Amino acid sequence: MSRGRLVLRKVAWALVTVIVVITFNFLLFRVLPGDPAKAGVRDPRLTPESVEAARVRFGLDKPVFLNLEGGGLFDSQYFAYLGALAQGDLGESYAYNNRTVTELIGRSLVNTVWLVLPAQILSIMIGVVLGLLAAWRKGTKLDVGALTFSLFMWSLPTFFLGILLLFVGSRTFGLPTAGRVTIGADAGFAEAVGDIFSHLLLPTATLALVLLGEYMIIMRSSVVEVFSEDYILTAKAKGLSTFQIIRRHAFRNAMLPIVTLIALNLGFTVSGAIQVETVYSWPGLGKLTVDAVAQRDFPVLQGAFLLLAIAVIFANLVAELIYLRLDPRVTEA
Amino acid sequence: MNRWRQLVRHRLGLIGLVMLGLALVAAITAPIIAPYDPYESVRVGIEDIYAQPSDVHLLGTDDAGEDILSALIYGTRVSLLVGFSGALISLIVGGLIGLVAGYKGGRIGNGLMRLTDFFLVIPDLALQIVIVAIVGQSLRNIILVIGLLGWTTSARLVRAQTLAVRQRKFVERARAVGASDFHILGKHVFPHVLPLMLANTVLVISLAILAESTLSFIGLGDPTVISWGQMLNFAFSRGAVSAGAWWALVPPGLAIVWVVLGTTLVGNALEDIFNPRIGRHYLEKEKPSTPEPARVPPSRVAALSIRNLSVGFQGDDGLLLAVDDVSFDIGRGESVGLVGESGCGKTTTMLAALRLLPPGGSIVAGAVHWGEKNLATMSEEELRHLRWVELSMVFQGAMNALNPVKKVGWQIAEAVRTHIPGVGKAGADARARTLLEVVGIPPARADNYPHEFSGGMRQRAMIALALAANPELVVADEPTTALDVMIQAQVMDLLSKIRRELAMSMVLITHDLGLVAESCDRVVVMYGGTVAEQGRVEDVFSEPKHPYTQLLLQAFPDLDQPDRPLVSIPGTPPALDQLPPGCRFAARCPQAFDRCHQERPPPYQVSNGWEAACFLLEPSAVVVPGG
Repeated sequence: MSRGRLVLRKVAWALVTVIVVITFNFLLFRVLPGDPAKAGVRDPRLTPESVEAARVRFGLDKPVFLNLEGGGLFDSQYFAYLGALAQGDLGESYAYNNRTVTELIGRSLVNTVWLVLPAQILSIMIGVVLGLLAAWRKGTKLDVGALTFSLFMWSLPTFFLGILLLFVGSRTFGLPTAGRVTIGADAGFAEAVGDIFSHLLLPTATLALVLLGEYMIIMRSSVVEVFSEDYILTAKAKGLSTFQIIRRHAFRNAMLPIVTLIALNLGFTVSGAIQVETVYSWPGLGKLTVDAVAQRDFPVLQGAFLLLAIAVIFANLVAELIYLRLDPRVTEA
Repeated sequence: MNRWRQLVRHRLGLIGLVMLGLALVAAITAPIIAPYDPYESVRVGIEDIYAQPSDVHLLGTDDAGEDILSALIYGTRVSLLVGFSGALISLIVGGLIGLVAGYKGGRIGNGLMRLTDFFLVIPDLALQIVIVAIVGQSLRNIILVIGLLGWTTSARLVRAQTLAVRQRKFVERARAVGASDFHILGKHVFPHVLPLMLANTVLVISLAILAESTLSFIGLGDPTVISWGQMLNFAFSRGAVSAGAWWALVPPGLAIVWVVLGTTLVGNALEDIFNPRIGRHYLEKEKPSTPEPARVPPSRVAALSIRNLSVGFQGDDGLLLAVDDVSFDIGRGESVGLVGESGCGKTTTMLAALRLLPPGGSIVAGAVHWGEKNLATMSEEELRHLRWVELSMVFQGAMNALNPVKKVGWQIAEAVRTHIPGVGKAGADARARTLLEVVGIPPARADNYPHEFSGGMRQRAMIALALAANPELVVADEPTTALDVMIQAQVMDLLSKIRRELAMSMVLITHDLGLVAESCDRVVVMYGGTVAEQGRVEDVFSEPKHPYTQLLLQAFPDLDQPDRPLVSIPGTPPALDQLPPGCRFAARCPQAFDRCHQERPPPYQVSNGWEAACFLLEPSAVVVPGG
């Protein structure tokens, strides 16, 4: 299969997955016991008439998938949902009056990116370097240290690490414990930057540490594998220095599985972000999700989940395309 | 059970088992060992809230004035219950899907794998949150959600393993005799998949425990039970940080770490036992080697002079000698054939000489003289400057000897640029193309990747690579095995021509005695890590002295005597851990006598430069000095 077609296939598969996720997301909130879609109109103070009016307003009186009762085959809840989605309409929040889900999610997404991106970049860079060193000096103290660190990071729940850092950071160093900025602070530009940074420090550190353990261990085993390949012996016999061997022959090959694994671990990143945002009251998608659960704000929950899932699918696609660029051997799906 | 004993002997695995065992004991005996019953409501005063650790409350009290130690002990129950039952559900679902997907293949298998792929991209915590929020947060629901959403890793693993087992002989045989799918899966496939699943189980358990504590911390735990995640949730959201009540936060967190770490340690140990990896690599730091010095001085005229070389590999029960006291010379511009059956130490000898031994192998004794220098004791850095310009090698099995993600031309040009100063990028590239043309590959193919070459082309590319920096010595390890006879002849002619033009020395490692007869000046016959016989090709091939050489020649067809029957040598070379005390060949030698089984024969000199290590030569020949 030509590589161009391969790219198209990957993109097509991602699109199909997105459609499946949308449908899955729709079903999740309609079919499961508890009928959450009706929760918003289940207020005991409402009269039966107003409940019925609300059901009509939310379109809950219509068939779920296909309308076989007349009035158009696609006049159903599912296609109404798809139509609204196409216009970027994810409904209205139950908990925050007059706020659309799209607006709430959009604002939170920006905050989450502010948290996840630096943590992701930091942990990938440090994790790749440390993993490489640990693999190269396999069996030394450095390696054992790296392994132990990863093992502990794996066993430590992210939220607990967050609590520990928050406890020490706030009580010993006086760092802020919640939010993105100090509310009501009126200061100059430099102070504002410092304020943002001090709020960002602990959450980013927590997420970065957790991700670091993961990336380091993946990189280590990937590098060990590449270092035992025959072409590394060829490179050594050629008279290349260790640095040249690593830079020219090992790094790219070792990065191949990393790219895939980082993509596969994006779910892990999302899970970490949800926990970190909960601990530090960081107004991102994770906190939005958790708050929506507490308030039974199902439209927000549904929208946030959809966005998280689509973000992971998209990032996965990017990783697969990068893999395709890095590895000339891939010629089939 | 043997595996069980292995697990106990695995130090970290044992620690993990003990950690889990203690947690299990705490869970079972909770009502007895817990000082208070956390499920019983008590009246508390304001002074009981977040009380510091004391004699009354060993770990202090929480936001409701409850004893933390008691809650901690009872929390073990929830953690282990969710961990084990959730993992069980995951394994049953994932195992079944994986088995069917791997065994059935085709449409069903593909469909199931697509389903797994789909669930793999859905962020699991987010999905767990959504579903628990919808179905309600009872312990039963939490277990079901964690269990049913945790099947993907098991499914992938079991599928891969099933695919591998399915190809095996016994499964195909069972299918051929018409056994039902159900029978084959249950009787033949499942037992082989089980061990790996066991290691995976432990991973799934730890994931389930983490998931439960996370859900509880987020506020989605079952409000009617006490769990560690919930303890942290209540303490954290009810002012434990501002109260400085670390005792309400640290113990439940550490309890989670305790069980997850315990399970992970057991899992890693199982992984080590069922799926052992050698895990050594080529760039490990070499221990400075201090081989025993050689007993015989080097030749003054030879290019490479190997003296009393012994190579050992670190085995489970001590050092195994793969090469034992080997000495021979390679003259300047000379071509030497190194022959013998597989596993006789030919390649190991030359890899040791060039200091390219795989990790775990080392030069135990002897010297390798390259002019004035002893390669056996040189530093890696000094050696690096000799590599490829002076000493180069054509590796056996060219399949993996080229980097799969770099263009072939680039890999040759890299060697040129590294060793020929001032050649420049364009110059190196041009030389790479010329070299490829020399070995019969169109220069345009320089832009191909190794996987786009045929086996024969890769082998020729390796030869082109070996010649990149005009080396003084080339070690060619089976350079023509993957080539057809016509190309083989071309390549050998080419090597001979280049060798003469550049006055290059060559070591040809091969099974092909015909090749040695055609293209070598001298031959070294190796057996069981020792030199059986060496001398000029004309001498050794026409009048072999060592019985092994004689048998080897009889096993090879001769163009001059096409009617001579071919004789094979019964038996195989000795294993490294079962080397006989006497002559290594004695067990298979038709002429062996008592002495051969007790004493190792020294090399006897037949004539100048011709020696054979066999007692049959004793009456007439003298022992080579120092041998």
